[in-house]
Amino acid sequence: MIQIEPEPWAAMIAHARKTYPNECCGAMLGSADDGTKLVRVAMPLENAFAGAQAARYELRPEDLLAADKAARERKMDLIGIYHSHPDCDAYFSTTDLKNSCPWYSFVVLSIQKGEFHHANSWLPNFEQTEAAKEELIY
Amino acid sequence: MAKVLIPTPLRQFTGKQDAVSAPGTTVGEVLTALTSQYPDLKKQIFTDEGKLRSFVNVYLNDEDIRYLSKDATAAKEADTISLVPSIAGGSTVTAPPETAELTKDEILRYSRHLIIPEVGVEGQQKLKAAKVLLVGAGGLGAPLGLYLAAAGIGKIGIVDFDVVDFTNLQRQVIHSTNDVGRKKIDSAAEKMVGINPNLKIVKHETALSSENALDILKDYDLVVDGTDNFPTRYLVNDACVLLGKPNVYGSIFRFEGQATIFAYEGGPCYRCLYPEPPPPGLVPSCAEGGVLGILPGTVGLIQATETVKLILGIGEPLVGRLLLYDALGMRFRELKLRKNPECPVCGEHPTITKLIDYHQFCGVPNPNAAAPAQETKVNEGEIEVTEVKAMLDRGDKFVLIDVREPHEYQICKIPAAKLIPLGEVPRRLHELDKDADIVIHCKSGMRSAKACGILKQAGFQHVRNMKGGILAWSDRVDPSVPKY
Repeated sequence: MIQIEPEPWAAMIAHARKTYPNECCGAMLGSADDGTKLVRVAMPLENAFAGAQAARYELRPEDLLAADKAARERKMDLIGIYHSHPDCDAYFSTTDLKNSCPWYSFVVLSIQKGEFHHANSWLPNFEQTEAAKEELIY
Repeated sequence: MAKVLIPTPLRQFTGKQDAVSAPGTTVGEVLTALTSQYPDLKKQIFTDEGKLRSFVNVYLNDEDIRYLSKDATAAKEADTISLVPSIAGGSTVTAPPETAELTKDEILRYSRHLIIPEVGVEGQQKLKAAKVLLVGAGGLGAPLGLYLAAAGIGKIGIVDFDVVDFTNLQRQVIHSTNDVGRKKIDSAAEKMVGINPNLKIVKHETALSSENALDILKDYDLVVDGTDNFPTRYLVNDACVLLGKPNVYGSIFRFEGQATIFAYEGGPCYRCLYPEPPPPGLVPSCAEGGVLGILPGTVGLIQATETVKLILGIGEPLVGRLLLYDALGMRFRELKLRKNPECPVCGEHPTITKLIDYHQFCGVPNPNAAAPAQETKVNEGEIEVTEVKAMLDRGDKFVLIDVREPHEYQICKIPAAKLIPLGEVPRRLHELDKDADIVIHCKSGMRSAKACGILKQAGFQHVRNMKGGILAWSDRVDPSVPKY
């Protein structure tokens, strides 16, 4: 289960609406204890995908490294990645899966016509062939 | 010795430590030492073959070791090693649609779509703006054409150059009895526009070829493959991969069907599944093997469903999964398909970067190439149906063998013929006299040609293939023999 506090949740939605119709992406920092993850800070990161960003995103490893560093400095952990799907459901696409990592929760925000519609959290497997849905509370 | 920062999710394998120091003079040595100290960590970072997992990047301080000396990068006491996953993704639906306003009539027509939240006005506008290419207006193309027209797709291109035949009517429900002899493309277009006059149809009355495929496909958002032969299937696949367009695939045989989406970004293509075509003749077509008439309806509508889902961007597309349908058992199964990194067309180092000669690739003659004057010429080892009739009438001494299957023999037969199905020929050779005059026939002349080859190889001296099979017999000798 992953729970996102109101403040980071609002920040994620604002970020996704701002980048619409392009995809946004960012890191989620917080704590993870005994199967319960709590997101306390959302850290917007730059979508570094070189082509059209309406249906693609890419995180720079340097940015992720910086997010991890920021988490350590605040005595928090990097526990997940979020990105948006503009005008598209919050499923974990093949592209998402192929470029994922089993270590983190992947929260997908469906933004329809510029407004938040729904969201899901996913846990990809090692082989990057499947992602299980994770309970998401916000 | 260097310090390795442990990402949060991996700390369960390091006794909750967020950083671990491990011995070694290079990054590779440090990581090896670390994973032998914490064996559970190994699976997280390395594959079974001992390679770094594809999503793991290793940083020494602030630098990716790929740009330093990789594993051999020197690691000192004060250095920090970080494991950073590479992460990307995206919804990757076809390009964002142009907006197409709905008229009052359209709002009424599509009302049952508009009141589904997942479709709504916006979804219906996506359908209206969508451009879909149907390759083939036959068994799969029939339900596809009818339902995609009804669903409100704005523009549908059809590639077909065939003519409606009586044998099509058992399954190709887009054509009616009155259409026999008409071009399929005209018959199909008429029905589709009849269902939905808003639909714009583009007729491509041609055989899809390496010369025209890219030019035809480039104007569409996605391609639906309703073809029945391997050369066109590989052609459609390669063209879709080269153009980056999803290929909604379906195939049918007797009671079984398959469907999936190929060439979807990040997903496998037809060549990942079948790098090479089957040997010519091994997999029978509908004309050779038969097909339950309803089957293309089921499979075509699975393709139509996936097409509409892709356009709407809803649900889970049938990507990386091959759906198998068994009508007799009435069961659906799913096989996982993986993208092959070595795939010659969609892999990491593609060797096929333009369209090739697909008939040559599949080892079959190109039916559209200028045909040699086969109709009039009798090749060596062949005999005309009229000559066989004359031999029978004269009472010549010869053996006529029918190598079709028993259920075909029940449909129609030449009474004088002895039935030995092709598959039984090799072990029933002893029933035949090596010196006898032998004529072999089947339905159209293909299987009998194979049988002639088998007999000749076994030392039979006088073996001839009845040209055109029992179909030609019906045309030119005895019209009371039904054709099938």
